[in-house]
Formats: sequence, C-alpha cells, structure tokens
Amino acid sequence: MEATEATRATPGSPSSAFSIAKADLNAWVAGLLEAREVIAPTAAEDGDVLFLPIASPEQVLWEFRNPLAPPKPFLFPQLDPLLQIRTKGRGFALDPVDGARPRILLNVRSCDARGFAMLRAMFAAEPADGAYLRRADATSLVTLACHEPCAEGFCVCCDAGPFLHDGFDLQLTDLGDRLLAEPGGGQGRRLLAEAGPLFAPAAAGDLARRLEREAEARRSFGPATCHFASAMRRVSTGRVPDALWEAMGDWCLECGACNFLCPACYCFSVADQGCDGGFTRCRLWDSCQYPAFTLEASGHNPRARRGERIKRRLFHKTSAQYYQRDGAVGCVGCGRCVRACLGTTGLPALVAAVRRGAWHG
Amino acid sequence: MAVQTTCPFCPVGCGVYLRVADGGLAGVAPSEGHPVSRGRLCARGWAAHEAPAWGERLTHPLVRRGGCLVPVPWAEALERAASGLHEVLARAGGIGVLGSALATNEENYLAVKLARGACRSPDVDSTLRSTYEPLVRGLTEGGAGLPSPGALDELERCDVLLLLEGDVARTHPRLASSLLRAIRSGARLFTLGHVHTQLSRLATHHLPVRPGRERERIETLAAAMGAGPAPSAARSGPGERLLGARLARACRPGVVIGPLAAPPQELRELGRALAELLAWLGRPATEVLWLPLPVRGNLRGACEAGVAPDWLPGWQPLEGDGPRRLRALWGAEPCASRGADAAAIVAERAGLVVIGEDPSATLPLGERALAALAERRFLVVLGAFASRAMERAEVVLPIAAFPETEGTVTSFEGRRLPVRPCLPPPGQARRGWHVLRDLIERLGLARDAPLSFADLEREMAAAVPASAPALGTAAPGATTPGAGRPTAEDGAFVLALDGPFDWGSDPLVRFSPTLRREHVSRRKLFPDGLVELSAQDAERLGLRLGQRVRVVSACGEAVLPAARRADLEPGVALVPFALREHVVAVMGGAFRTEVSVARV
Repeated sequence: MEATEATRATPGSPSSAFSIAKADLNAWVAGLLEAREVIAPTAAEDGDVLFLPIASPEQVLWEFRNPLAPPKPFLFPQLDPLLQIRTKGRGFALDPVDGARPRILLNVRSCDARGFAMLRAMFAAEPADGAYLRRADATSLVTLACHEPCAEGFCVCCDAGPFLHDGFDLQLTDLGDRLLAEPGGGQGRRLLAEAGPLFAPAAAGDLARRLEREAEARRSFGPATCHFASAMRRVSTGRVPDALWEAMGDWCLECGACNFLCPACYCFSVADQGCDGGFTRCRLWDSCQYPAFTLEASGHNPRARRGERIKRRLFHKTSAQYYQRDGAVGCVGCGRCVRACLGTTGLPALVAAVRRGAWHG
Repeated sequence: MAVQTTCPFCPVGCGVYLRVADGGLAGVAPSEGHPVSRGRLCARGWAAHEAPAWGERLTHPLVRRGGCLVPVPWAEALERAASGLHEVLARAGGIGVLGSALATNEENYLAVKLARGACRSPDVDSTLRSTYEPLVRGLTEGGAGLPSPGALDELERCDVLLLLEGDVARTHPRLASSLLRAIRSGARLFTLGHVHTQLSRLATHHLPVRPGRERERIETLAAAMGAGPAPSAARSGPGERLLGARLARACRPGVVIGPLAAPPQELRELGRALAELLAWLGRPATEVLWLPLPVRGNLRGACEAGVAPDWLPGWQPLEGDGPRRLRALWGAEPCASRGADAAAIVAERAGLVVIGEDPSATLPLGERALAALAERRFLVVLGAFASRAMERAEVVLPIAAFPETEGTVTSFEGRRLPVRPCLPPPGQARRGWHVLRDLIERLGLARDAPLSFADLEREMAAAVPASAPALGTAAPGATTPGAGRPTAEDGAFVLALDGPFDWGSDPLVRFSPTLRREHVSRRKLFPDGLVELSAQDAERLGLRLGQRVRVVSACGEAVLPAARRADLEPGVALVPFALREHVVAVMGGAFRTEVSVARV
C-alpha cells in the first residue's frame, strides 16, 4: 500500500463505507484474482492456517485464528534476491531484481497491518530500501477486524487492534450476513470501484452496528493496561541488573522465532548466492538473538552472551530512545513470540520480569 | 506454495512448511498443529531451506577418467558403478555400504538390500550408529525400552528428571524446550556432565563428572542409596543422595541421555547401569521415561532399517526368520553373517558405497579416513552435496536433497514421519531411492517391473515381522565392572572431544549462510586447533590467553593453543569435535584419552 494513501479513516462515515453480502464474497475474490495475485489465510496440514497465494476463492478463510506465521514474508521475504551481479568485460554489471507484482493481502489482521506500517517506516527511512518499497507499493492491504481476542494477544496494549483507524487500504468488519468495507485511501476506493455492484453503500444501521462491534471487541479484549511504560523507564535508564538479563538468558534457546514471527521485526543479513556466470545478492532474515548476528570478523562479539542479546532486543522494543524515534513501542501485541518461543522468553514475560525486577522462568 | 515436511536436522522430527516461490525455496514456516513441534522450531529448523538452495549441489553423474571426474549419462554411470563393484566381488575384495542418518528410511533399507542382497556382503553400517545403538542396547538389556510416540509430551509431565548432558540445549533444542517446560511446571532436574551447561544451571543439582566416569558416578549413586554393586572407593555427596531419594519417590521419573562422546562398549555399560540403577531404586524400567537421543536426524531410522553389522531390518537378529523373509522378498539369499563396523569398512574394504554423508566429517579419525579412501580400489558416492569423499570416488551419483524427495524418517520417539518433495532435484540428480533401486537391479536383483515407491513401502513392511523383536533380546554381553574406566591418577588430564558430532561439518549447516557463521568463525580463529581447560587448571598452569600447551598421551603429542572455560570441570581438557584433526596424533581416533598438559 502507498504510505501517502494511508489516511485516517472515519469509521461510521456514511460517505465512505460499503457493504458486501457474504454470498457475494467468492465472486468478489474471483474478480480480484483476474488482475493480481491474492494472498489469503488458507487451511493447511494438521489444522494449521497459512497465508498463501490462492488459486480459487473457496480457499479463503473468513473465520480463523490468526496464523502463527504472519503475512510478513510477502513484503519482506525470508530469502529476498536483491541484485544480480555478473562479470561484464573487465567490470561487473549490476541488475536489480524486481520482486514487485500486483498483489492483494486479504484478511490480514489488525496487528499484522500495524506491523507492515512499522516495517514501512523503517524501510522508507533514508537511505530508502527500493526493493521493499516497490513490493509494498504494489500490494493492497485488505484487513479483517477482530472480534475474538487471541489467547496470547495483547494488541489493545499496543494500539494495534482489534480495529484499525489507519494503515490499511480496506478494512472489513463482519456484520453477520455481510461485511462492512471501509476504504483507508485511494487504493481501497479503487478496489471498491472495481468490484462494482457487489459492494453497496453501507446503510445507516450497518454503520451503527460496526461501531457497536468495535465497542464489543474492545470490551472483550480487556483493558488496555500497558506494562511497557514501566519496563521502558527501567530499560531506558539502565536500571535492570545484569544478573536479571543473565537469568532470562538461561531460559532462551536462541531459536530466533521471536524475530522471525514478529510482524515488526526486520533483522537481516546479506549473502551472495552463486548462479550461472555470477552471483545473486540476497537479503536473509536474521535474528538479533543469534550469537553470530553481531560476531565480528576478528572473532570479537559485543553481545556474546544470551542475556546481552535479550537486553538489546528489549531495548529496541521498549526503550524511550526508540519510542521517540518510531513513535511507538516495537510490538503489535500479536502474541506470536509467546506461541512459538522455544524457551519461555516471549516479550510479555520479559516485560513482566523487568517491571518486577525478578525472573521466575 | 508451502509443503509440510519433517525438519531434516536433529532426531526430534519437527514439522516445518517449506515455502516455494518462483521455482525455488523461499523460506520456512512452523506448523502449530504438528504433533511434535507444535509451532516451535529451533534456529536450524528456521534455516532448513538454505542449504539445498545455497549448497554446492551435485547435478550430473560423474565417473573418473584420467584422474578427473567427468559428467556422463546416468546409464553409463550406473553401469560403471555396477561393473566396478562386480570386479571387486570377483576378486573377493569385499564390499562395504555406508547408510546414513541423513538418508531416509527407504534409502537406508535399500542400502541394506544393496549390501546383504545384491553384493552378498554383511558390511553395512553408518558412521554414527556406534554413538547411539550401544546405549540403547545397554538400556534394553537393563529392561528399559525405546521411547515411543508421545514421549516428548510425557517428558513435560515428569516430576524428576536425570539428564546426562551432551549440551542438549544446543544439540536438541526442541527437546530442551520440553525440559524447560517441565522445570517450569515444578519438575526437579538433575544433570550429570563435565560442563556446566545452560540446562545444568537450571538444575536442582548438577553432578560433575569427568568424561568416561559417568557409569562410576551412577554406581556411586546406587551405593549412596544402599543398593547396587558399590565401587570400592565410592564416595557419595549430597547431590547423589538427593537425586536417589527424588528418583525413588518420583511419580514419573525420566532419564534423558544426550549424545556422549564415548566408545561403544562404555555406552552399552552406561545404558545398562542406568536401567539397573532405577531398578535398584525400586523403579521398574517400565515406570521410567527413557530418552536416549540419537545425535543426528534419522539415526534411529537407519538402525531400524538394518544399517548395522549384526541385525536385519526391524532389529531382527541374523538368525531365525529374518533371512528367510528377506529371501522371499529379494529373490536372493541375503548375507546373514556379522559384518564389520563403519570404521573398519572405511579402513579395509576394497569396494565402498557411501550414501549421503562424508565419512571424514563424522568419524573421529577425521581427514585420516580420507587417506583410507584414497587407497580404496573402488568408491561410489551417492550425495546431494559436494564432499571430500568425492575426491576419491570412481563414480559420483547425484541424488535429491530432502526438499526434493519422498520418504520417511524415524524420530527419536519412534514416530515415522513423512519427507515430502516440493521441488524437482537439480540438474540430472535423481531421488536417492531411485538410484539405489537401479544400482541393485544392475547388480543382479532384477524384478519384472521396476520397483515403485509404493512397492518399496510394501516390501519394507513385509521385511519386518508384525511384532518386531525388541532390541536387546540378544544375550547380554559380559560386563566387567570398571571396564573402560579411566585409570589415571587424580590430577592428570582427560583429553576429550566435546561430543561425537560437529554440526558445522554437516552439509545442511555447512552450506547454510545463516547457520555456518559460528562454525566458520571458530575454524578461522583457531587454524592450529584448540584445547579448552577449566579456569582453575589454566590458573594453575599459568596460562595466558592463546598461549600454547603441549598435550602428551601414550599415542603421541601435540602443541596447540589453549583457552580457559569457566564452565568446565577441572582435570578435563576439551577439544571441539570440529578441531579434532589437530589432536589425532594424541587421541588416535578415540573419543578420549589420558594426557599430561604443560605450558610451552
């Protein structure tokens, strides 16, 4: 989605919202598929849900628990070829790899959309990352607002859900037999226009119901009590004893899942992959929790201990210094770092330990 | 597209989705519904897509001509392999086949069929078998059984756990994850080892032990509880008594044995001592959760497929119905005599077929194993990645890596887990079972129609009796108390390898840009090798950082840099398995030896 288009929506605004009958959803998705790739949550093995490119509208899940793997790889791939390097005469020819293609990310949850906004802010900062921005600009983000809280989620504490007020192209809300669609900018309005009569201007009752649903969701998601603030005070001022970081470190198994599954994390490394007659320079996901992430060529590692790496991660996520730069904590409250942690060091546990000054595993 | 398959690294058997985009592997995703991993992957699992895409892949069949390997059509390469092996057989030179923990169950079964059926040779083994099977054999001789599906979940419900360390947090992170959850739920963990590892720091009590004295420590523990054959000089501390009391009273005790660098007989005795200890404590083996851990992926599957010198597929003994059953399936009399182990096969056999791995990367002898390969008259290598073994091969047959083939692997819990293809093999490479099938047929075990994968599955099922004999039903071997125990006086050093395996030598790590970094860095930093000493010993010897020490054993000596480790037991000089080449003269290919250490 285009950053400039991500204007603040006005929920309940009679002029902007439309609705579509659930019976028409397949027809809408079929129309979307004609012009672009559609990525949506789909049923996979063992009851899993995965965001995948779909071939038919029937594959799209409209009711689902947010998948463990976020849609992040479709804008920020785990293995991202950036540049072809070939010998040419006595020098080299450099050709950028253009991975951008028209896409729709459909039924993205609010927390993941918030993550994309954070990624965009990072990749758009100077020097801007053309590979990411081209891909993001070619992608439309259609979100599906949440009504049921996730067991491990805490998006209300991060201003990342259950409903969004910006950072989407189209926000869908389930109203029972139909979905309300609110465009977040020009791309969303174009999607609605393309769909033609499948979407009808929302009735006043629909708009009222949408506001009720948001209020209901906010109640069921619990109070927006945020413990980041107290953690921020301690982390930002270096008031967490080293022994506490070390204690946390013994409960981390350095899997990197907290980075890879975090919608807001963007650690990466760069490596060249040999191919016929040259190389492809690739960006690879990396983890600040891996010892090799900061390993220097001399063999020195400024963050050799797990506790030091956890400290760094929490500093990036919750410190006042980063909050001032980014305008938000580096977390969207999706809870995936809890669901996938091989150890017991998901972000909420770390924040709680810093706040209490004690770690109990 | 994303295809769910089984993680190819350690033997826990996590479920992982491989993402495919633009005709190549693009990444992985965890499977939250998978019965083993439940959405939790380790760093290796997260990089499972890298090596097949980045590795130096074998894409064409190669045969040696004029000293060089040259690409040839498949038919010619297979014919050259078959005729070369025939020539060795005709000269009665002896042919050995090495299966692998990197190969699928189907490939390992066909390795057995190639050796015992097509080549009529008993010499089939894998280089890592001796790090696992003797331990399992010892446990079963003591009455314990192999773990069964669900053991990982059961581990989280244990209330008292004994962990014989092999640094399980590093070698088997998903299993360590279950240990952490058990501790958080209130389980008491006791660790036994010569390094204060991450898990030992979380233990209720850590029992330090010098390498090779694990069994002695177990017997001391039994003596502390007034049971078992107490060693004459048994000294028990509060840790032993506490562990003994906890194990005796536990509702659900569990014993986890990480990969240990020890000789086979010692592993077998340790396994039996552990099982007997629990029996002495009034805990029949069936009440205890036993988790012996294979060091790499499909090692249990390779053993169960019959990749071993002294049993047939399904742990069947060489005598009895097994050979008859195989004769009916293969249409040829299987060789049912006892074969040589992997080290002897590499060192002595005139013909050798190596499937999936480089023996020099896994045998304690390291590069010296290559010298034995150099003298070999005929070496056939089946591999997905380039390896040092290729340099000595007459024929190289390129096979698919794990994302390109179908089959099964067997996890440490005994789950038969699927390997599913999501890409075609690169170039002209073929699936490993395909290549082995064709080679077997060219060596004389031909069928009317080529064996399909479904045929192969049926044949494998029929090769194993419905009630497979349990490992360890063989007569218990003689156990001499104290055998294999170090005899050095206190104060001498035990020079030991830090484990029986090095992930950095594994092709799936070696070719992964994310996973290889630390391993490459260590090799670069210590080009002359490394020996690690405890802080106390380093202090006593007056060693400064990087200073060299002379290490002398009965075999020989070496001079190499020393480093101090705060987490190591005094009296132990530890050498990373990856850097074992620098102490081969001292250790002579063993996992451990007594040495003196002096500052140079």
